[in-house]
Amino acid sequence: MTGVRRLAARVEPMVWTRLALFIGVFLFFAVLNRRFASPNNIFTIFEGFAWLGLAALAVGVTIIAGELDLSVGSTAAVSGIIAVSIVDDIGLVPAVLIATLAGLLFGAVQGYLVHRLKIHSLVLTLGALIALRGLAFMISGENTVAMENLDIAFVVRRQLGIFSPFSLVTIAVFALVGLFLVYTRYGREIFAAGGGRSEAAAAGVPLVRPLVLAFALSGSIAALAGAMTSIKSGSAGPAAFEQLLLPAATAALIGGVSLLGGKGSAAGIAVGALTLRSISSGLSLEGAPFYVLTLATGVVLIVVVVLELLVERPEIRAGLRRWRDRRRMRTGVQTG
Amino acid sequence: MTGSGRVPTGGARPRSMIVPLAVVGALVVLGVIGWVTTPEFITYRNFLNIIRAAALIGIIAVTMTLITIAGSFFSLSVSQTAAMSAIGFAAFMSWGWPVWSAVLAVILLASVVGVLQGGAVALGGNPIVVTLAVGAVLFGLAAWLTDNKTVRTGTYAAEWIGTSRPLGIPTQTWAFVLIALLTAVMLTRTRFGREVTLVGANRWAAATVGIRPGRIAVYVFWVSALGAALAGIFTAAQFSQGRLDHFDGADIDAIAAILVGGAAIQGGEGSALRTAVGAVFIAGLQNLMVLRGFSYGVRVFFVGLAILVSVSAYTLLRNRRRLA
Repeated sequence: MTGVRRLAARVEPMVWTRLALFIGVFLFFAVLNRRFASPNNIFTIFEGFAWLGLAALAVGVTIIAGELDLSVGSTAAVSGIIAVSIVDDIGLVPAVLIATLAGLLFGAVQGYLVHRLKIHSLVLTLGALIALRGLAFMISGENTVAMENLDIAFVVRRQLGIFSPFSLVTIAVFALVGLFLVYTRYGREIFAAGGGRSEAAAAGVPLVRPLVLAFALSGSIAALAGAMTSIKSGSAGPAAFEQLLLPAATAALIGGVSLLGGKGSAAGIAVGALTLRSISSGLSLEGAPFYVLTLATGVVLIVVVVLELLVERPEIRAGLRRWRDRRRMRTGVQTG
Repeated sequence: MTGSGRVPTGGARPRSMIVPLAVVGALVVLGVIGWVTTPEFITYRNFLNIIRAAALIGIIAVTMTLITIAGSFFSLSVSQTAAMSAIGFAAFMSWGWPVWSAVLAVILLASVVGVLQGGAVALGGNPIVVTLAVGAVLFGLAAWLTDNKTVRTGTYAAEWIGTSRPLGIPTQTWAFVLIALLTAVMLTRTRFGREVTLVGANRWAAATVGIRPGRIAVYVFWVSALGAALAGIFTAAQFSQGRLDHFDGADIDAIAAILVGGAAIQGGEGSALRTAVGAVFIAGLQNLMVLRGFSYGVRVFFVGLAILVSVSAYTLLRNRRRLA
C-alpha cells in the first residue's frame, strides 16, 4: 500500500495534469463523433500509440539525458528492413530481437562517441541520421522489402479487445523503462546527466554510463518500433519513418519531458503519445487529410513550447516584465 | 579567404587556423581523388555543374550559418519556408502580378515566418523544437491552401530568373557566390556580424556590453528565412511552378554543409565562406560518386560518413586546442 502511494507521489506532479489534458481531448472528440469512443476506434488509437509511443520514448529518454537523438527515424527504417528480410527464415521473436539489437548497437556507439569526443549530440546524430538512411537504401537494394509469410504480420496486429500484441509489447516496454528510470541507479543517473551535468560529474556520477545507456535505449526502442511496424504491415521501405521526429518529439514534450533535461517520465510520455494519437484519430474521423494532421501536430507542439516557457521558466516572465519596464523608462526619458 | 580569422570573439585566446585549413584540406583531397580516379571530374564544365548543384542548398546553408554562429543551432523549417515561397511565388505570378511584386510579397511572407521563429527563440524557445513545429505548420498550411496540388505560374514572365545564364553561368550560381561573399563580409566586417559572433560565443558577456541576444536571434532567423525564400523563388521561376516537395530534405542538406564547413555548434565560431565550401564539398562528393556509378544508398551513406568524420575531426582539433 505504501509502495503504491509512493509510486503515486512520484508520478503525481508530472503526470496528473497531462492525464487531465488527455481526458479532455478524448471527451471532446467523443462528444464530437459517436464513433470516436467505440472499441474499434480505441483499438486504432492504441495501434497508433504502439509505434508513436515507442518513438516518443526513444526521443524522450535522450532529452531527459540532456541530449537529443535526431536519428530515430533512420534507425527505425534500418531495423524495419532487417526484421522484414529475416523474419521469414527465423521467425517473429528472433527477427525482432536481432533488429532491436542492431538499434541498440547504433545507439550505444552514438552515446559513446558523444561522451568520448565531447561532440554535441545534435551534430553526431544528424550525421548518423544521414548515414543510417543511406544504409537503409543499401541493404534494401533501394526497393521495398516484403515478407512472404503474412501470417506473421497477422500475429502482430491481431485484435485482442482494444489491444493487439504490438500495443501490448509497447505497454510492457513502457512499464519496464519506467521502472528502470525511477527505481535503478543507472536510470537515475540518466536524469542526473540531464539535470545538471557538472553537478552530476562533481558528485561522482561517471557520465559515460548514462550517455551510452540513454542512446542505447533510444536506438533499441526506435529499432523495436521500426521492426514491429514493418512486420505488422508486411513490408519495409528504405524511405520509411522520415517524418518520425516531429510526432515523436511532440508526444514526448506533451508528456512533460523538459527540453532543459533531467525531467520527464515514461508514464508522462505514454500519456503524451495517447493524447497526440487521439487528436490524429479524431481529426481523421472528421475526414481530415494527412496534412491537416501535420498542421495539428505543429500547432500542438507550438502550444506546448509556449506553455513550457511560461510555466517552467519564471525568468521569461521576469524578462517580459523587464522589457516592459525598460520601454516605459525610455519613453519616460524621451518625454521628460 | 577564411573570413573568420580576425573576428574578435569573447575569449582572449588567439584564433587557430586549424579548422579552416582542415575544411579547405578536405576539398583539396576530394579534388585530388577525383582527378586521379575520374578524368571527367576535374573539368571546367563539371566544376560549373558542381557549383550549380551546390547553389540552392548553398544559399540556404550560408544564410543559416548565422543561426549556428549566434548559438541557436539550426533551423529545421527552411525546407518548408523554401517550398512555401516557391508556391507563393507561383501563385502570385498566376494571379497576374508583376515579377517584382511577387518577389516582394514572397520576401514579406518569409520575413514574417523568420521573425516569428526568431522571436520565439529570443523568448527562450528551443530553436530545434520551435523550427520543427513551425515547419510542420507551414507544411500543413501550404498543403491545405493548395489542396496539396502543384501551383503553376501560367506565365513565362519570371522564367529568366531561374534559367538565364549571364556570362555562361547560371543565375543560381551567381546568387550563391554573391550571397556567400556578402554574408562573409557582413559577419566579419560589420558591427552586426561581430554582435552575432559575440552572442554565440558568450551570451552573458554580450548582454553585459549592451547587445541584446534576443534581438540578434530575431535577425539571424530572419536572414535564414530570406535565404530560403530566395531558393524558393529560383526554383519556382525555373520550373514555372511551386510544389510542396520541391525542397524535401533541404534542411538536413543545409545543416550538413554547415557542419562540414566546420561551424561550432556551440556558437561563436564559423564562417559563411567555409559553409559555402562545405556545400561545394558535398555536391562534389555526390558528383564524383555519380560519375563512378555509385548507387543512391551508397552515396547517401558516404555523405553521412563524411559528416561524421569531419565533425569528429573538428571537435577533436578544437578540444586539443582548448587543452593546450
